[in-house]
Amino acid sequence: MKEVVCKKEELSPGNIMSTNLGPIPIVLCRTPDGEFYAFTDKCVHQGAAMSEGVVCGAPAPTDTPGEYHYVKEGEILRCPWHGIEYDIKNEGRMLVDPNRKLGNFNVSFEGDDVIVSTRK
Amino acid sequence: MAESKKKRPIIDMDIHERVTYDELLPYLDNPWQRYIKDTNWVQEKHLPYPILGAAGLDRADAKVPDGRPAGNDLSFMQQQLLDDVGHEAGILTGAGDPSPSSMNGWYEMAVALATAYNDWQIENWLEKDDRLYGSVHIAAQDPASAVREIERVGSHPKMVQVLLPIDDRPWGDPYYHPIFEAAERHNLMIGMHHQEPPNYYGKFPRYFVEWHSVMPNTHMIQISSMIFNGVFEKYPNLKLAMIEAGFTYIPAFMKKMDQQYKVLRHEVPWVKRMPSDTVKDHVRVTTQPVDELTKDEFLKFIELMDSDEIVCFSTDYPHWDYDSPFRALPPLGEELEQKIFAENARNLYPKLPTKVGKVTQ
Ligand code: FES
Repeated sequence: MKEVVCKKEELSPGNIMSTNLGPIPIVLCRTPDGEFYAFTDKCVHQGAAMSEGVVCGAPAPTDTPGEYHYVKEGEILRCPWHGIEYDIKNEGRMLVDPNRKLGNFNVSFEGDDVIVSTRK
Repeated sequence: MAESKKKRPIIDMDIHERVTYDELLPYLDNPWQRYIKDTNWVQEKHLPYPILGAAGLDRADAKVPDGRPAGNDLSFMQQQLLDDVGHEAGILTGAGDPSPSSMNGWYEMAVALATAYNDWQIENWLEKDDRLYGSVHIAAQDPASAVREIERVGSHPKMVQVLLPIDDRPWGDPYYHPIFEAAERHNLMIGMHHQEPPNYYGKFPRYFVEWHSVMPNTHMIQISSMIFNGVFEKYPNLKLAMIEAGFTYIPAFMKKMDQQYKVLRHEVPWVKRMPSDTVKDHVRVTTQPVDELTKDEFLKFIELMDSDEIVCFSTDYPHWDYDSPFRALPPLGEELEQKIFAENARNLYPKLPTKVGKVTQ
């Protein structure tokens, strides 16, 4: 399945939008460096719509209690309900459990058109 | 849990409606109205850290589309929760602010706020949606005024419980018994919802994640206080709903109380039954926030409780740790699911309607 979902300029860097690929609800993400990523619009935890979530960064794990390093600004998608974080640039994997991830789609372009397709 | 929405009756024991202080003004007399209007008075808050959900206390998608805070608009709640999930009934538990019972001092203001809140709740929620049932808010620090408020609104057909805060005096204390007496007189149950301040006579732990992990502690204190102070012997029709601390602590706690009772019962001779039997007959707890069990684990806890009537479902809508009726629990079999999602709550609150029609699936 393959579909034009929007024009590039309709989604500015650092933002997300909901769209559809046929019957499948999709969350389209654009990271601050301008790249596009597409995932199923459903949190693997309890099923919230990820497109209602928050784009943010996250504190990196540290070996020192009391220390904070905020990283990946604009590259983390946080669920609107319980706040589980997914790494947009790492195939939508959960930060706390990288074995679990959002469903993935391919994004390609034709001119200004953004095309989402199912993975082969 | 299956992805498709499963049609079943749901009685949700924890839905938060939210008032703004402006909305309460018409329900307040002076000088209370003037205190709020002239000085922008709002209740002191206690939590020393932000709530680190995606949007603070609330689900990020539950904010009212016109910008008002989550839980502030009936039609949006109907659309997002009651219609979408297909609630048969939902019990409103307030939003904690204002929380008249948690005010330190200035009881007169607390009493005025409780009265205003109840009138606002009845007019704007209970009388506008058949599915919604309410909690009587009181200023519990002043039991005489609390009793007056229960007398004033407790017979409203859609008020089903008196909501008590978890604060710094455990609820078995005879100081509070007139409140139980009034509740029993009006066929109201007692609801306790986890609330600030969370630790009985304690300080906050250093991190929110610690606080949120130990909520059952305060519930155990309240349940044992009511049991060992003989509240349920004295008020045999009274029941207690412990809301928002999950249920997995219950089996170990029942065992512990029974064992203590066997060896120490001479201290509390007015307690005539095994505490676990009192829990089975008088205490109900909500699933939320779920402990994410497998089916086998879940059933094991039910078996250890030796009762499938204690656990009731709640969503905690619109808060960040909301539980989906379709995804939060593992599949448990039709009979148990019907009890947890609806029948246990129906049996707890005598003012809820009896079941109509047949369950469809
Ligand atoms: S539904 Fe996404 S974190 Fe729970």
